[in-house]
Amino acid sequence: MSPVSTLKTFEDIDCTFPKTLQEALELMADEKTRGVPLAGGTDLMVQWESGALPMPERVINVKSIPELREISEADNEVVIGGSVTHMELRQSSAVRRAVPSLAEAAATIGGFQIQIMGTLAGSVANASPAGDLAPSLLITDGTVTLAGVRGEREVKLTEFWKGYREIDRQPDELIVRFRLPRLPEGHYESWRKLGARKAQAISKVMGSSRGRMKDGVVSCFKVALGSIAPTAVRLYDVEQWIVGQPIHDETLKEAEQRVADAVKPIGDIRSTAEYRKWVSGRLVRLFLEELAARSG
Amino acid sequence: MNKITRSWIVNGEPREAEFAPVRRLLDVLREDLGLKGTKEGCGEGECGACTVIVNGQPVLACLMAAGQVEDQAEIVTVEGLEKTETGRILQQAYIEKGAAQCGFCIPGMIVSSYALLEQHAHPDAGLIRESHAGNICRCTGYEKIVEAIQTAAERRAGNTGS
Amino acid sequence: MSTKAKASKRIPRVGQGVARLDADEKVRGLAEYADDLQVPDAWYGYIVRSPVSHGRLRALTLDPDYDWSRIVVVTPDDIPGENIVDMMGRDMPFIAHDEIQYRGEPIALVAAPTRKQAREAAAHVRADIEELPPLLTLGEMIDRYKRDPSELHELCAQTIRKGDAERALEEAELVVEGEYRAGHQEQLYIEPQGMVAVPEKDGSVFIHGSMQCPYFINPELCVTLDLPPEKIRVKQSAVGGAFGGKEEFPTLLAGYCALLALKAKRPVKIIYDRHQDILYSTKRHPVWSRYRTGLDKDGTIRALCVEYVLDGGAYTTLSPVVMYRGILHAAMGYRCDHVWVDGYVFRTNTFPSGAFRGFGAPQAVWGLESHVDDLAKACGMTPHEFRLRNALREGDVTPTGGVLRHSVGSPAVLTQTVERSGFVEKLSRCSHGRVSDGKWYGIGMSFFAHGAGFTGDGEARFKAKVALDLEPGEDGWPVVLVRASSTEMGQGTFTILPQVAADGLCIDLNRVRNPYPDTKYVPNSGPTVASRTAMVVGSTVYGAAQKMKKQLEEYVTREFTGGQAVQLVDGQFLTADEKVAMTFEEAATHHFQHRGPLRVYDQFRLPDYLQWDQKNFVGDAYPSYSWGCNVAEVEVDPRTLEVNVLKVTGVYDIGKVLNPVLAKGQLEGGLVQALGYAVMEKIEIKDGLFDASRMQTYVIPTTLDIPEFDLDFVEFPYEFAVPGAKGVGEIPMNGLGPAIANAVEQATGVRMRELPITPETLFAAMTRGASGPLLRTGTA
Repeated sequence: MSPVSTLKTFEDIDCTFPKTLQEALELMADEKTRGVPLAGGTDLMVQWESGALPMPERVINVKSIPELREISEADNEVVIGGSVTHMELRQSSAVRRAVPSLAEAAATIGGFQIQIMGTLAGSVANASPAGDLAPSLLITDGTVTLAGVRGEREVKLTEFWKGYREIDRQPDELIVRFRLPRLPEGHYESWRKLGARKAQAISKVMGSSRGRMKDGVVSCFKVALGSIAPTAVRLYDVEQWIVGQPIHDETLKEAEQRVADAVKPIGDIRSTAEYRKWVSGRLVRLFLEELAARSG
Repeated sequence: MNKITRSWIVNGEPREAEFAPVRRLLDVLREDLGLKGTKEGCGEGECGACTVIVNGQPVLACLMAAGQVEDQAEIVTVEGLEKTETGRILQQAYIEKGAAQCGFCIPGMIVSSYALLEQHAHPDAGLIRESHAGNICRCTGYEKIVEAIQTAAERRAGNTGS
Repeated sequence: MSTKAKASKRIPRVGQGVARLDADEKVRGLAEYADDLQVPDAWYGYIVRSPVSHGRLRALTLDPDYDWSRIVVVTPDDIPGENIVDMMGRDMPFIAHDEIQYRGEPIALVAAPTRKQAREAAAHVRADIEELPPLLTLGEMIDRYKRDPSELHELCAQTIRKGDAERALEEAELVVEGEYRAGHQEQLYIEPQGMVAVPEKDGSVFIHGSMQCPYFINPELCVTLDLPPEKIRVKQSAVGGAFGGKEEFPTLLAGYCALLALKAKRPVKIIYDRHQDILYSTKRHPVWSRYRTGLDKDGTIRALCVEYVLDGGAYTTLSPVVMYRGILHAAMGYRCDHVWVDGYVFRTNTFPSGAFRGFGAPQAVWGLESHVDDLAKACGMTPHEFRLRNALREGDVTPTGGVLRHSVGSPAVLTQTVERSGFVEKLSRCSHGRVSDGKWYGIGMSFFAHGAGFTGDGEARFKAKVALDLEPGEDGWPVVLVRASSTEMGQGTFTILPQVAADGLCIDLNRVRNPYPDTKYVPNSGPTVASRTAMVVGSTVYGAAQKMKKQLEEYVTREFTGGQAVQLVDGQFLTADEKVAMTFEEAATHHFQHRGPLRVYDQFRLPDYLQWDQKNFVGDAYPSYSWGCNVAEVEVDPRTLEVNVLKVTGVYDIGKVLNPVLAKGQLEGGLVQALGYAVMEKIEIKDGLFDASRMQTYVIPTTLDIPEFDLDFVEFPYEFAVPGAKGVGEIPMNGLGPAIANAVEQATGVRMRELPITPETLFAAMTRGASGPLLRTGTA
């Protein structure tokens, strides 16, 4: 007879409720008290319920730690706490000024309820290839700060996603904040998401760009796409190629082709590899068209 | 598992519940507090039938660990709407406009409407639709729901003179 | 005083957009759905399922290391009666005992005190199965069908033969061919399936839960449980949407609960979670159809040859009637002397396909109305000219030789929709994939009918019965209770039937109630399906109400007015000189005191001229038809191939509109389901299971996906079913898919032959090159 239950439910999970960041880090430091950081629950609760992830022994509620909930503006950057929600991102004038595509992306996640619950660090840590915030974070060349009891560590966002659902976080660390260089004067951002419907869709392909036109040519261009690789990716080759080019039909065609050649998406339940490849090029083309139009 | 105790204001009344900390808020409301009005349509945050209001914000009770709702939090479920003027206006408008068909999405839908009107006295059609995009209805095609919310917003604004 | 003058004083209830009578409990969260029912001491049931799609069950064993002391397990040996689900075929066992036909087929049932324990126990039942090769998809099925149909297991087949279509095809000036396909569609009612079975002390069983058809469950359980009908009581709880998904499937769930409850000797409930619900409940039948049509250059249709093939899944269940309705709509709507339709349903090793709003007709109209645009093009006509030239009209003959004698909303719906939508002018603005800047615009139309009521002579043979009870209500005042087995699942039964009863009696609507159907109290008025409730049950309720009115008038005449005749008008008994003899309430109360409550029955009847030959499919396939026309306007983004449906115009003839608010709600809701079917909802078979098995992956329209609607009714009441309703429930599902496909062709120049139409399928069609414009990609 097996007295031990083989099935776990939410009710078998232990939970601690630290009031401060320090308290949370201390809990994370000790293997006996360490837990999975739980904030909005919009990804984790679903994955535990569906069996995509095993039910953990313990979670640590990081949702209401005050230090993680702040948004502040410095000279050249905006600093966003890990537990800032998608709704706060889309509503924050600081975020909208500094990284407009991030605010736009946040507004396309789930419905209002999910936006109110879900958090920036949660979305980043979930590390889904379809995580809608990743491209906008990537194009800022910003950093994510992780903290442990031993101190803080700052990691470039472009190096933070290591692979499919894999991030550069040590078991005792918490994601505490993001430092994102603000959109410089004369630069513009674009954001576009393709989903099966107009709200509450998991992206088929989505992306963001940040760029500038000067003297009739592209002087700066950063572009990242999601849902086309194990992680969201920057398209450095295309970025380099377009700098110095004017935007007209021929360069747009070439940019489109270069993107389509560069990405190697897979087909899954949401889209086909062929469509993703083609439309990746179309999105970048669209971003360049928007850049040209806005730059007048 | 060590259970925890939380004291909340649920639909205007103090309620206490004891539960495993990651028990879903939905189960605590339905099973422990007997508030069966809140529905489970998908259990994974997609349908919005379990929408309730916690401290003024609409959230999904199926994705929320009840322990995350702190002591003294104010929770409003569909059962609490009739105690408020906004709630009563919404109920009347939903009834008149034919916004409910099978009714299963309605507890979550009308709670989303309540959250909207409490925050925006004059929502335009775009905001009405966007704020309810997280509430799936398979019966109505949403037209009559949007109409009901518009009507309720107008009546509410008229009542408060705002 | 003539009766006419008195009648003019009546306050009509039918035709008014009165508020739903069940709205109050719904907006207050008080309606009790299956999972809300208080059932003390109930255990939870769980189904042990086959892990393979096709195989032979050699043995079933219980894990000896698991503690089974608080678990009840049901295997075929525990079934008191026959291990057969007695639907149209007798090929489906309740619990598989030998051959397994689909992945997920029940092989045992368990019940335990908690949901968790039940799930856990189910995982400890071990099955030894010899695997056999499965057939899993519509694609494979059609490949075999084209190669050699004898390679397939035919679940059922039927033909329609009118004239000599082969010869007419040879003689026609033009021949147009086309193939069309559509996959499964999930009903996705927001309330998952749920049922409770309570074993009673007297050996009977009480079934309570989410269902469309209480009288489907009753006879089935008689067979399975070996109990007489009076020992099985079935009651509907509030139903959170159904759309056909709770037509036949709840019978299985009721059986599982009842078998477990009888063995456990305590109540057992099964509430599916969403994932189980999508994986293990019925879907719309996938369809493949092929049209070959002979035309003259002037637009005359000479011959229509149709093959209509459905994927039935593993067992027969209701597939024959779904296919019958399909073939009856596959060539319906146009004048043609030579029509051949071949209908088939073949087996695949997947969950049995089942009822879904429209019941085979949307699958048929999808092919037909896409094809009709090709026909118009072939003879150089516009879509509306061609349809107007050929549309059936009053007095015309259907593909089965039935004559459209009465209440024919064609071509009215067609002409009005064309006019309302500005179709003619807008057609000239379509992009045809040739506009290089901005969006591609397209407009398309569809025209269709939907047979009201059971197919063939179903209604004539069934003779739906209803009762009305006049009894003291909870408030002490008299109340009339509608006693029909017609269920409320959101469509408005509990409002329209009381409206009709109030009109028939000529009393105030607030004196009429429609309680949840309970087989202990309601006669069999049939299942709540087939767009039959308003027409068939509604007119029978009206008949019963008129009988009750007459009986009360006679009672008052006899007891109070000394023989002077009275008439019940607006809740008052009036003498010939218009004096109020007494009120309805007074008369009813007097009746209770001296005679007790009053019950009257009535039965549905159809005119004798209706004839149907079921074997040869000749005659009047339906008592009457609803008619509709849709115009869809779309915008396709050339940059991403996203299809945006901008506006839908529709005019419908559903006979007398009983409640315009509810009827409009049916149109809007049905059209949005049809929109999902057309451009969004995609679910396929992967490893024998449905792939989009969560609401995250099976996506349906949200508030932001809704086009502008411009909808209207044109009334052609059906005079043989007073007050004249036909059907509204299903027809909104029929025509939007092809209207959108036709609009997409006008926008892009590409004819899409499969639903749903997505950016991915459009991309594939356009890059295939042959049919569409070159994409302006970097590669171009």
